[in-house]
Amino acid sequence: MAQAQVPEYVRVVEELFSKYKEFVYVGKYIQRWDAVAKITGKALFTADFLKFYKDPVYVYTVRPKYAHAYIKSIDTTEAERYPGVIKVLTAKDIPGVNDVGYVIPDQPLLADKKVRYIADPVALIVAEDKYVAAEAAELVHVEYEPLPVITDPLEVVDLKTLKEKEHVRIHEERESDIISHFKIRKGDVEKAMKEADVVVENEYRTGMQEHAYLEPEAAIAIPEADGGVTIIATTQCPFDVRKAVARVLGLTQNKVRVVVPAIGGGFGGKEDVVNEIGAKAALAAYYTGRPAVVIHTREESMIGHSKRHPMVAWYRHAAKKDGTLLAVEANIVLDTGAYASLGPFVAWRAIVHSTGPYKVPNARVDTLAVYTNNVYAGAFRGFGNPQVTFAFELQMDALAEELGMDPVDLRLKNILREGDRTVHGQLLTKEHGVGLEETLRKAIEVIDWYRKRKEYSQFAEGTLRKGIGLALLWHGNSIGVEGADYSSATIIINRDGTITFRTGLTDFGQGALWGLVLIAAEILGVPPQLFRIEPPDTSSTPDAGPTVASRSTVMGGAATMNAAYKLRKRINELAANMLGCSPDEIVIRAPEKEDVKPSDVEVFCSSDPSKKVKWTDVVEQSFWDGVPLQEFGFFRAPKAEWDEETGQGAPYVTYTFGTMVAEVTVDIETGAVKVDRMVTAYDIGRVINRVGAELHAEGGAIQGLGYALMEEIVHDKNGVVRTYNLSNYYTPLVDDIPDEIIPIWVEAGFKRGPFGAKGLGEPSIVAIAPAIVNAINHATKHRFTQIPLTPERIYLGLKKAGKIKL
Amino acid sequence: MAFDPSRSWDTYPDIEITLNVNGKNYKVKVKPYERLIDVLRYKLGFTGVKEGCGRGECGACVVLMDGELVPSCLVLAVRANGKKIITVEGLAPEGKLHAVQKAFLDTFAVQCGFCFPGFAIAIKHLLDKNPNPSEEEIKEAISGNLCRCGSYYRLIKAAKLASEYVRQGKIYFDVKR
Ligand code: FES
Ligand code: FES
Repeated sequence: MAQAQVPEYVRVVEELFSKYKEFVYVGKYIQRWDAVAKITGKALFTADFLKFYKDPVYVYTVRPKYAHAYIKSIDTTEAERYPGVIKVLTAKDIPGVNDVGYVIPDQPLLADKKVRYIADPVALIVAEDKYVAAEAAELVHVEYEPLPVITDPLEVVDLKTLKEKEHVRIHEERESDIISHFKIRKGDVEKAMKEADVVVENEYRTGMQEHAYLEPEAAIAIPEADGGVTIIATTQCPFDVRKAVARVLGLTQNKVRVVVPAIGGGFGGKEDVVNEIGAKAALAAYYTGRPAVVIHTREESMIGHSKRHPMVAWYRHAAKKDGTLLAVEANIVLDTGAYASLGPFVAWRAIVHSTGPYKVPNARVDTLAVYTNNVYAGAFRGFGNPQVTFAFELQMDALAEELGMDPVDLRLKNILREGDRTVHGQLLTKEHGVGLEETLRKAIEVIDWYRKRKEYSQFAEGTLRKGIGLALLWHGNSIGVEGADYSSATIIINRDGTITFRTGLTDFGQGALWGLVLIAAEILGVPPQLFRIEPPDTSSTPDAGPTVASRSTVMGGAATMNAAYKLRKRINELAANMLGCSPDEIVIRAPEKEDVKPSDVEVFCSSDPSKKVKWTDVVEQSFWDGVPLQEFGFFRAPKAEWDEETGQGAPYVTYTFGTMVAEVTVDIETGAVKVDRMVTAYDIGRVINRVGAELHAEGGAIQGLGYALMEEIVHDKNGVVRTYNLSNYYTPLVDDIPDEIIPIWVEAGFKRGPFGAKGLGEPSIVAIAPAIVNAINHATKHRFTQIPLTPERIYLGLKKAGKIKL
Repeated sequence: MAFDPSRSWDTYPDIEITLNVNGKNYKVKVKPYERLIDVLRYKLGFTGVKEGCGRGECGACVVLMDGELVPSCLVLAVRANGKKIITVEGLAPEGKLHAVQKAFLDTFAVQCGFCFPGFAIAIKHLLDKNPNPSEEEIKEAISGNLCRCGSYYRLIKAAKLASEYVRQGKIYFDVKR
C-alpha cells in the first residue's frame, strides 16, 4: 500500500507501534475489572435479571419428532386451552420475515413447510410458568410426512469426485445441497506428484464439537412504549441480534435495543443461536405486552445451537528426498448440518489455512460445505482451522516418517519465514511479524525435543507407552474477506477524572475488553482501575462489528488507540497551556497502588517535573476551556483479496503463528491416554493483556484436549442427538488436564496491530489436537487419523493392526 | 395424550417452607415440584447460584445444606425445609472477601466467571472438613465442577493458597475496589 493511501486511523496505529517500546500497563499482570463481581456472585448474567421482572411470560420451543420431514399440519388448539398457556405461536404469527439465517436466508425462525433437524423450531408456547410451557408443548399436534434422514455428508457428496450424489434433497428451494465450494489452484500439481520422491496420502476425520459454555443461552425481551423492544441477551454479537430481531418483527433497527450483561462463555457459539432466541422472546413480548424469557435447558442448548463442523478430508502430500514440500492436494468436506449458519465463512477460513504455514509451490485444494440433517454447525473457536490443521499436521508427521526425518527437521525445512510467499502468493514481510520459526525453536528447546523423541521411541513399561508430538499453526487475523471488517470504541472522561469506556464488542470471559482498557490506559497515562466498561448496548455503544475471529484486541484495540490518541493530544495541549511547557513534554503518571484515585494521577512537564498539576484539575479545566473529553475511535482493516477461481491473493492482514508440543502416556491395552505435558508457543505480535493471554493458552489447550480425546456430538441414524447433556457429552474436568502447560510468547510485532498485537482467541485451540494425536501415534507406532481419539478407537485400532493381542 | 386440565402444574397447592439462607430466615411459598435452585435464584434473589446443566453434572449450582455439598438443581425446595443453606453470597460479610475468593484474585483465575460460585462453595466445603488438603484431595473436591474456560490450574493453586490463609487464621479480606 502506497504511503499516500494509508488512512489516518491506520497511520495512528503505525505511529504508536514504532513509538512505544516500554509499557506501564500493557503486558502486565492486572486484575480484570469484573473479577470481584464474578467471585462474589454479584455479576449479573442474563437469566439473573429475571429476579427483577416479577411477572414474565415463559417461552418454550416445540421441536419435531423427526430430523427430516414435511409438515402437513399444525394443530395448536389443545395446547392453547391448557391452563396457564397464553398463546401458541407458529410461522403465520410472525409479523416480519420468518428467517434467522446468518449468511444465507435458509433458516426459518419457525418451520412451516419442513423440518430439517431434530430441534428445528415448529411452534412456541407462551405461558405463565416454565413447567406449564414445557407440558403444553406436548399438546401441539403436528402431522409430519417423514423423509429419509441424512447424517453422513458423504451421502450428499462424493469425496473423490466432489460431485453431488443422488439423495433426498434437504434444501430443495436451493439449487444444490452443497452450499459452498472454494478452491486453491497453484502451479502444476500433477507434474510435482510425478517428480516427487515421496508421496503420502490419507483420509482424516474430525468430530462435531459442542461449545458447552457453562451458561446456557438466555434472552429476556421487554416491550417498549413506542412498539419497540429491549432485549437482554447472552450474545457475542449484539448488533447481529438487533438486525435479526428487527427483521423478524418488522421493526426498524433503532426500535430494537440489545443489552449484553455478563456472559458465561461463548467460544463462537453465542452468535446465531441468540438471534434465534432473541427473536423468539421478542415475538412473545410483542404478542403479550409482557417481559418474555427464553432460557435454554442444557438439553435444548446441546441439540439446538450450532456446533463445530465435522470434517472428512482426503490429503496427498508430495516431497523431495531432502524433505522439501513439492505439492499438496486435498478434498475437504465440511458437514454444516441442517442450516448454513456461518458455514460458508468457516469453509473459506478452512481452505485459506488448508496447506499449513509452509511454503507450498504447487497446490490443488477443494473445500465444500454441505447440508445434512444433523444439528447445524457454525462458528466455534478456530472456525474451520482446527479441522484442516489436524489433517495437514498429521500429514507432515506421516511424511517425516516416510522420509525417515525428524518431524521438527521436516518442518524447519518448509516453514514460512519473512520474505516467503504463502500458498496464496501473499508476501510475508517484516510488517506482518513472522515469528513462526522462533516459536518452534523455543518450544523444542524448552521440552528437550530430540532427547525425548528418541527416548520415548524405546519406552515400554508393561502396557504403557510414551510419545511426544508437535503441531504448527497459522491463523489469519480478523475476518478477512468474510465481511465488513471495522471496529470502534468510545472513551468518555468524566468530570471527576474517571473514565467511561464503551464498545459494541463483548466480553464472554476472554477478557478482551480489558485488553482494550489497558491500551487506552497506556496512551492516556490513567490507570485501568479508573476505567469503567459499560455493558454493550446497541442504543448507546457504537457498532463495533461482531466479537468473533480473534478480532477484539487487534481491531477493537486499534479503534481504541485512535480514540485515546486524539484525546491525549488535546489533553497534552491543554496541560501544556496550564504548565507552560510544550505539549510533547507532558507526562501523565499514576502512583502504583490498587485503590488509586483520580486525584492521585499527576500531570507534569518532563523538562521540569516541579511544574505539575493534578489530573483532576486538567479535567476540570477542560470543561471551562471547552476542550471536549469524549472521543470516538474507528478502525477498518485493509481490504483483503481473494481470487475465487485460484485462491490467490492476500486473504488476511496478518497471521498469528504457533508451535504446540504434547507429551503423552498411552495404555495400549485400555486405550487410555494421559497428556503429561504441553508447550504452547505463540507469536501474537505483542502481549497486551498478559493474564488473558495465559488463560487462553491454558483454556484453549484444555478445550483442544477435549476435542482430541473425548468430545463428540453423536447423532443416531435418525438424526437424534445421543449426547444431549454433560452426563453423556464429556468435557475435560480437573482430572483430565496435563500436569503442566508451559506457555511461551514470541512478540514479532505486527505493524498495523495495536502496539504490534495479533489475535489469540481462536489460535489457542487450533493445533492442540494434532500435537496430541501425533504424540499418540509416536507412542503407539500407529497412524490414527480420526478425532476424538477415544480409548475405544485406540484399542480397536491397535487390535485391528495386530499390535495388541487381547 | 388426552386433554386433562387437572394435570396442569398450576393446580398443585402452594406449600410454605422456611429456609435459612446465609444466616437469615425466609418463609416462602413453593410448589411441590419446585427446585431449590429456582427458589434461591428467583424467589429469594440469590442469583450467585448458577444453573449450568440442571442434572447434577456441572457443579455450578452447588450450595452447602446443613454443611453438606449439594447440587441445588437436584434438590426439591420442600426437601430443604428448615435447613441452613450457604450460597456464594454468604461466604463473607458484605464488603469482604472470603479466603477462597481472595485466592481466586491472587491467582488471576477469573475468566467468564460462571463457574466460580460453584468452585468457591466446593473449596470452602473442602476446607471446612480438611484445612490442609493435598493436591489430590483438592482435585477430588473439585472433580464435580466444570470450568469450560479452563481455569483449572489456577483453581487448584487458589485452593492451596486459601488453605494457607485459613490455617493462618485469615478468613476475611477487605475488597480493594
Ligand atoms: S446445574 Fe446443578 S449441577 Fe449443573
Ligand atoms: S471461568 Fe468460565 S466456566 Fe469457569
